[in-house]
Order: sequence, then C-alpha cells, then structure tokens
Amino acid sequence: MLDIQRELAAGPPQSVLVVEDDPPLRTLLMRVLREHGFHALSAGSGGEMADLMAANPVDIVLLDVMLPGPNGFDLCRTIRRASDVPIIMLSARADEADRLVGLELGADDYIAKPFSTKELVARIRAILRRASGGVQEPQIRRSRLTFDGWSIDPGRREVISPDGVSVDLSGAEFDLLLAFVASPQRVIGRERLLEMSRARTTDASDRSIDVLVSRLRRKLSTDSQGEPLVRTVRGVGYIFTAAVQRG
Amino acid sequence: MIHLRAWPQGLVGRATVVLILAVLLEFIGSSILYERTDLFADRGRQMQHLAEQLVAAERVFNELPVKARAHKAETISTRAIQVNWSYLPPMPAEPLSGPLDRARDQIVAWEPSLADQEMRLWSNGGRWPADQRLKVALKLEDGSWLHFKTRVRAGPWALVLGGVGSAFILASGVLIASSLLLRSMGAPLRNLAKAAHEIGEGRRVTVPEEGAGDVKLVAQAFNAMQGRIAELGAARTQALAAVSHDLRTPLARLRLRSSGVADSSVRHAMEQDIDEMTAMLDSLLSYLGGRADPEPRRRTDLAAIAMTLVDAATDAGHEATYVGPDHLVAEVRPVAIKRALSNLIDNALTYGSEATVSLRSENGQAVVLVEDNGPGIPEECFARVLEPFQRLDSARARNTSGLGLGLSIVQRAVEDEGGSLKLGNREAGGLRVEMRLPQA
Repeated sequence: MLDIQRELAAGPPQSVLVVEDDPPLRTLLMRVLREHGFHALSAGSGGEMADLMAANPVDIVLLDVMLPGPNGFDLCRTIRRASDVPIIMLSARADEADRLVGLELGADDYIAKPFSTKELVARIRAILRRASGGVQEPQIRRSRLTFDGWSIDPGRREVISPDGVSVDLSGAEFDLLLAFVASPQRVIGRERLLEMSRARTTDASDRSIDVLVSRLRRKLSTDSQGEPLVRTVRGVGYIFTAAVQRG
Repeated sequence: MIHLRAWPQGLVGRATVVLILAVLLEFIGSSILYERTDLFADRGRQMQHLAEQLVAAERVFNELPVKARAHKAETISTRAIQVNWSYLPPMPAEPLSGPLDRARDQIVAWEPSLADQEMRLWSNGGRWPADQRLKVALKLEDGSWLHFKTRVRAGPWALVLGGVGSAFILASGVLIASSLLLRSMGAPLRNLAKAAHEIGEGRRVTVPEEGAGDVKLVAQAFNAMQGRIAELGAARTQALAAVSHDLRTPLARLRLRSSGVADSSVRHAMEQDIDEMTAMLDSLLSYLGGRADPEPRRRTDLAAIAMTLVDAATDAGHEATYVGPDHLVAEVRPVAIKRALSNLIDNALTYGSEATVSLRSENGQAVVLVEDNGPGIPEECFARVLEPFQRLDSARARNTSGLGLGLSIVQRAVEDEGGSLKLGNREAGGLRVEMRLPQA
C-alpha cells in the first residue's frame, strides 16, 4: 500500500489504456491497475482505442496482440506513426519471434500471458520511469549503436561482436550495457547504474552491480589487448571507455 | 505358394534368381547344341577329305606301275591318313554296323564315283565311332587293295571349349547387364522404403514418381497419402496450438484473481499451479512450433548462452556452475539452442541439487555437457525419455512439472543443427547429457 501513497504523492495518477478483447480479463486488469493507483481506461478493439486516445491523455498503452480486426502489431505500428507513448504488448504467445516483432515495431516491452499483478505493475512503473525520467531518449531506444566494432540493436535486444557473432546477454546485462552506451566515456555511479539496469528487469536480482559488470565484461571480452571496455573507477563506479556511434 | 529356402524375399532377388535360372538353362542348352553341330560339321569335313583322298589315290595308283606302288603309298601317307598298298585283301568284311554304314554313305555322297567300287570299312572291333580309328580298303582295277587308316575325331575339344567359353562370357555379360537393369528397377522401391522411414521422423519426403508402371503408381499413391497425413498432422498441431494459446487468457485472469486471495498460503499454492500450467503450455508450444517457423542459423557464442543460463540459475538460488572458455562460436539457431540448454539445466536442477555445464571444442564440434548429481536414468530408459510425452513412471516423476517434452525438444533442436545428443550416467551418480553441435 506504500505504492499507492507514493503514486498519490507524486501528483495526478498516470493513465493506462488497456486494449484487450476478453471482457473479464479487461475488467480484472482495470481493477488491478486502479488498486495500484493508475487511472485506467479500456478498449476492446482498435477503433475504441483510437477514440479513447483522441479524447484522453494516455501515459502508457497495454496492447493485446490477438485482437479482432487489426491485431496488436498493426495497432502498435499505427500508434508509433503518430506518437511516442510507451507501449507494452500483452501476448498469449511466449514466442521469441513474437517478442522480437513487437519490439521491432517500437513496443517498449513485451509480457507473455499469464503474468502476475506484481510483474505487470513493476513493468509499467519501469517503463513510465524511463519515459518520464529521460533515462533513454527514444532514438537511443530504437536505433542501432556501435562501439569498438561491436554493435547493439536495442529493439531486438541483440549484441553482435566485432567478428559478427551473436552474444547472448541477460535482461539485466543488456540494460546495464544500454546504460553504459547512453553515457559513454563518463563516470557513472553504482547507484545510478543499478537503477538504470533494473529499468526493465523485474525479477529483482539481488546481485550487486559489480557482479553484473563482471559478467558483462566476460561476455564482451576480446583477445585484443586494448583498454577494457568497462573500467572500474575506485570508490565511485564505472566508466565505459569506447566511443559510441549511432546508426 | 511354393516355399523355397533359397527363394529371396526381395523383388529384385527373386527376379535375379529367375534370370539366373533362365540364363543357365539357355547356356546349357545352347552349348549342347553348339557342341553337336560342331561335331557333325567336323566329322562331315573329315569324311569329305577322306573321300577326296580315296578318289585321288585310286586314280594315281591305277596308273602307276606295280613296282612303284608300295613306295608311292609311303610318300603320300600323312599323319592324318596312312596309305598302304597290298595284293592282300583286307580281313573279310564285317557286317556293316549302323555307324560304319552311315560313314560309307557319307563317303559315297561326297564322291559318287566310289559307289561302284568295292570298298570295305571296318573299325577296331566294330567300336567305331567310340574308337576313332577307321580303316577303309579300296579295290583297284587290277584286284590289288589300297588300305587307308585314319582317325575321325569325334570331339574337337578346342573348338568345343571355345564355344563353351564364348557362351559363358556371353551369359555372364547378359547376367551382369540384366542384374544392373533389375537393380535400377528396384531403386524406386528402395527410395520408397527410405522415404517411409524418414516420414516417421516428421519430415515431408517427396518420392520421385518414376520407374515401372506399378512402382510409379505406388509412388504416386504414397505421395498423395503423405500429403493427407501432413494435412491431418498440421490440422491437429494447429488445433493443439490454438487451444494452448486460448488457455493463456483464462490463465491470465486466474493469475490476476489469485492476487486477491487473502490467505497467503492458498494464494501461493494457486500461483504455483498456474506456473505449472504455464510451463506445460510453454513446452507444448515450443515443441509444436519448433518446426513451423524455423529461425535462421547464425554465428552464436555458445559460452555466452551457457553463462546467461547458469547465472540465472545461481541467481534463483540453485547450485549451477559453468566450466569452459569465455567464447565458443558455433553456427546454430540461437533461440532453439538456448531453449534446449535451458531445458537440460532445468532437468538437472529438478532431479539433482547441482548442475555443471561445461563447454569445449572438439574436432570442429562444440561439445556441451550438462551433468547433475541426481539419481540418473536407467540405461534401458534412455530411448524412452527422448520420446515426446514420455516420463519415467517412477516415484520421482510426479513432482515435476511439464508434459515430458523437455528432452524431446532438446533432441529435436540438436538434430535440426545436424548434431547429436547422448545420455549417460556418471560414475559418481547423476545424469550426464552431451550435446554435440557442428561449429561451422
């Protein structure tokens, strides 16, 4: 209940638009969201969604993939043409392929059904925080980035080594890397890194940022004896040493 | 039906046996015929020669003075025909036996002038032609006798052997050619059998519709049947996948509702049940969807995947260790391989309390080893645990979630990469699963 108080203290409730064709699930989602201090709106189809978005300010959209008429992916594309409002896709498919399609179309996150209340609320908060706090500008979220021969695709959450090898990162590791490339060649404090790298992951790992950094270092290690990509700044935090190019 | 032990079961085998018998028969028959005609032709030739000699000698000797005759007889003798001249008549004529009579007729037939001459034929005790020696005596005008001794060879072996040899070469040639022909006739059938084996493994195999009429019909029917089976299978898979998807919405409602349950132990139990159902649906969908939309292969760092999964397991409070290099590249489908390795680690941590993942490169293959300290699996069950929807029916089976698809998904992912999966038990106890994946 602390959450509610905090949300209330933070000003007017943020509005969440739920686009879901299953009426009972829609009702449940509305109830859960209201219980957690959000202003919830709901639509059963793309048409209703468009009407609601035209009439109300919406801070985040929860978009079901399987909808009658234009499906969630179509709607996601339509929204992105006009607005940068955060979108979380809800899907009955836990497919990696579906997840990638959603993220490529500009969705900010992808949650597979069935999700728990805790997971849903945590993800909504994380995305809203990221959007409002300007942790990442929209371009950073979407465009390809390169550094030192490496390239990362934030949409597909993909990391390619200088040799063209796909390197698997965990969610937290990827978010940590995104935090680094967003502020390259600058010292970033541990607290800040922890906050940014937890932006997405809700499975609260109690691992310290040092463990995450060492895992990331190992995965991004190369044979070349150059300067390490991530250097420790004793007592403060870390610095990402490479220059980052966009595109 | 005739039951012969040596009767081969294969169509080609049977046809070959028939062919061998036929060719053998032809071979024997023709060689007998060949020998006979050769024999007759040869004997006839020898008789002709003899007849000519008789006529020529008679003319010469009739003209020759008596004193010169003995010497002349010696000079005209050859190895084949010995000639003697004498006043003495030959032994009294034996009654002409059948063969001798025929020989005489042959001589007269060649030289009709001899028909009126007194000519005696006899042989060694009447055993001609078994005994090759033939004697002919011809009475000259002055009443003296010319004696001819010759051999009429009944079996010219060189010729007969040559005949047999060439017949044999011919027959073998025919045999080899027709065996090859039969083999090629059997090829469509063998293709069909091979295809039928492969179909069982879930692939669609098109059999070339070729070969003899019957075989072609079978191939056509086979392809059509395969199409129907594939459609049926696809329809079922689709239905199952649709149900699995549709179940997620009510599950999502249930999960959201469960958060409203006040009693925390009930809520916790409900959440676990929902998790279990979700895991079942996930494994079912990944099993069904594995082949429907294959992800592309790409160069992938297997070490990074192993580290991600092992780290996730340790973060969740399990004992998991990764042993291996920081990077190991293989050309695989990363999502499928990550899911496979994740299944193996989950298995290891379900049945044991510790999982060790090791990775190494060997002969161009990436070797991924997952070991646990659980009870292992009896060797006779190795094949069974790889079957979909199979779980070992022991006491430990029930405390696991899922549909028994975990290892099937692993096996399929590994097979799709052209790799291999090997199960084994560790000496210290526990299961040991080895995935081998081609690196390039």
